[in-house]
Amino acid sequence: MPRSDSHRFLVRRVRPAALTALLVSAAVGSPPLHAQQTAREIVDEVDRLLRGESSRGRVTMEIVTENWSRSLEIRVWSLGTDYALARVLSPAKEAGTATLKIDQEVWNYLPRVDRTIKVPPSLMMGSWMGSHFTNDDLVKESRLIEDYEVEIAFEGARDGGEVWEFALTPLPEAPVVWGRIDMQVRKRDRMPTWARYYDERGRLERTVTLGDYRMMGGRLVPARMDVVPADEPSERTTMLYEELEFDVGLTPDFFSLRNLRAPEGL
Amino acid sequence: MTSAVWWRIAWRNLWRNRRRTLITAGALAFGFLAAVVLVALAQGMIGQMVENGTGLVTGQVQVHAREWEPERSLYATIGRAEGTDVEALVAAVAAAPGVTGAAPRVYGGGLVSAGRRTSAGIVMGVDPALEPRVSRLLGEIERGRAPRAGVDEVAIGSEMARRLEVDPGAEVVLVAPAADGSLGNDLFLVSGVFHTGLTELDAAWVLAPIDRLQALLVLDSGRVHEVAAAIERPWDAPVIARDVAGALSAGGLAADVRPWTTFRPELADYARLAQSFYGVIVAIVFVMAIFGVANTMLMATFERRHEFAVVRALGSPPSGVAVTVVLEGLILGVLSLAAGAAVTFALLAWWLRSPLDLSALVGDFTAAGALVEPVLEVEVSALGPVASAIALLLTALLAAVYPAWRAARVPPADALSGR
Repeated sequence: MPRSDSHRFLVRRVRPAALTALLVSAAVGSPPLHAQQTAREIVDEVDRLLRGESSRGRVTMEIVTENWSRSLEIRVWSLGTDYALARVLSPAKEAGTATLKIDQEVWNYLPRVDRTIKVPPSLMMGSWMGSHFTNDDLVKESRLIEDYEVEIAFEGARDGGEVWEFALTPLPEAPVVWGRIDMQVRKRDRMPTWARYYDERGRLERTVTLGDYRMMGGRLVPARMDVVPADEPSERTTMLYEELEFDVGLTPDFFSLRNLRAPEGL
Repeated sequence: MTSAVWWRIAWRNLWRNRRRTLITAGALAFGFLAAVVLVALAQGMIGQMVENGTGLVTGQVQVHAREWEPERSLYATIGRAEGTDVEALVAAVAAAPGVTGAAPRVYGGGLVSAGRRTSAGIVMGVDPALEPRVSRLLGEIERGRAPRAGVDEVAIGSEMARRLEVDPGAEVVLVAPAADGSLGNDLFLVSGVFHTGLTELDAAWVLAPIDRLQALLVLDSGRVHEVAAAIERPWDAPVIARDVAGALSAGGLAADVRPWTTFRPELADYARLAQSFYGVIVAIVFVMAIFGVANTMLMATFERRHEFAVVRALGSPPSGVAVTVVLEGLILGVLSLAAGAAVTFALLAWWLRSPLDLSALVGDFTAAGALVEPVLEVEVSALGPVASAIALLLTALLAAVYPAWRAARVPPADALSGR
C-alpha cells in the first residue's frame, strides 16, 4: 500500500530515502510490529512500497531566513523515485519557474528568460528555490536499507505516547552524505514525528519535525513538515500540503523538458 | 703626523704590485655590482609579482563589511542592509594619501548558461569607469570590449567562453540567488572575452556592470560588497589600510579595511621569503670576497716580512704595522667601491629603461597565485646600494684584519736574520 509520492518528492530534499521511509512507515497501515520483525525489515518494506507509485499535489513552501521570508505555492508531480516535477504557482514574479528531476539530473525552467538550464554538478549542493533543501536532496535516491543499518534505538513512552526511535547508520562504502539519521515514529498510527540528520562527525545538521496529521488522497499523512538547519536555528523551511492525490496514472514521458516549460493545463 | 705617515705607506704599498691590487679591487667591485644588481632584480621581481598578484583583480587595499569574511554572504554589504553612499565611500577611499584609485564591487554566485551548456560562475559587478584605476581585469579583454554601465552586458573568461562555446555577441543567461530569496535570472549579451592566464579566473569569472548585477541580485544601488583601491607603493598597504579605516570610522562607517598583505598572505609570505633569500645571496657574495681579499692581503704581507721587521726595528710599535695593513684594506675598499658604483649605476640606468625580456626562453608562469612574466625588471631603492657599499667596506676591512695581526707579530730579529 503506497504512499505519498508527492510527499516523497518534497521530502527527498531532506535527504530522501530516510525520510521517505519514515513517512512511508507512517502510512503503511497498522499491523502491529511483530517481535520477530526487525526494524530493518520494516524500513525495507516501506521503502519498497513506494516504488512505481505516482502522485500529484499542491504545497505551500514557507521559507524563513535571517535576511528574508517568503512563501511559494508549488504544484508537484512524481513517479517512483526517478521522476519529479515541481512548478511555482505564486508569487507572480516567479510563477512558472519549474524544476524537473530525472534520475540524477535536475533542470530548471526560467520563464522570465524562457530558458531551460541543467544544474551542473558543481551547483548540486546549492539551495533549491532559496529553501533549506539542496538540488542534491532532490536527486539523491537510495534504498534506505541498502545504505543504512537500521536499529531500534528506543521503544516506549515519550511525551505520553508509545513510540519507536530508529537509528540509521550508513554501511561502510555507502554513497551517502549523512553520518547518522535518527527518527521517531508513533506506535499509535505509525506517524513520524521527527527526524534528525547528523553529519559524518556526528554533528546535528538538520531537524525535521512533522505534524498536522490528516487524511489526504485516501490516507493519513503529516501535512506539515518543518526543516530547521542546526547552524541557523532561527531559520526554517516549512512544507504545508494543501492537496495530495495518489496513483494518478503518470508515465515517465510526462516528465519531459516540454512539460517542464509548458504550464498550460498542468 | 704619524697617522699621515701610515696612510702614505699604505697607499704606496698598494701600488707596489699594481696588477694584484687592480685584480683584487676588480673582484670587490664586481662583488658590489653583483650584490646591488641581485637586490635590484629581487626587488624588481617581487614588485612585479605583487603587482601582478594584486593588480589583476584584488587591488592592494580592500574595504568590506565586517561580516564579509569568511562567508562572503550576499547580504554582507558595506553599511549592512541599509547600504551606504557608495559614491562618497569610493571618494573617501580614493582621497587617502598614497591611494591612486578606488572602485566599488558587487559579487554574486550562480550559473552562466548558453544554449544547452551551463557553467558555474562568480559574477563580479564593476563600475566600468572606475575599475581600470584599480585592476587590470577589464584591460585583459582579448576579444570584444568591456561591458558598458547600465546595459545587460558581461565579459566572461576565455575558458568559460570555450566551455560554453560562445563568442562576443552571444547571449547568455545569468542565474543567481537574489537577496530577496528569489532566483535572479536575466539575459546578458557577451560583450567581451578576457584572458588572464589564471585558470580559475578564466573559467569561472564573469564581469558585469555593477548596476545591472545589483538589479539581478535585487540589491539597492547603495549596497556593495567591496571597495578596492590601488596604491602607489605596495609595501605601504598596511599603513594606508589603517589610514583608510581611520578616515571611514571618523565618517561613522564601520568597515573592515585590509591591505593585500592580509588578504593575500601567501603572496606576502612569498615576497618576504624571496627578499630574505636574496639577502642570503648577497651575504654569500661578500663572504666569498672576504676570503679572496684576505688571501691576497696575506700574500702581500708575507712578502713584506722584511720591511715590517725593519719598521719595527726602527722603533714602530706593532700597532703601527697593523694599522698600515688595515689602511691598505680600507683604501682598497674605497677604490673598489668607486669603480663598482660607476659600473653598477651605469648598468642599472640602462636596465631600468630596457628590462630584459626572457619570454623567448620561458613562458609566463604562476607563483603563489600570481602571474609572473619572465621580464627581468629592476627596482632600485637606496637599500641595495647602501647595504652593499657597507658590506664591501666591511669586507675589505675584515679581510685585512688577519693579515694585519700577522704582520704586527713579525718578530724583527728573526725576520731580519732570514729565519
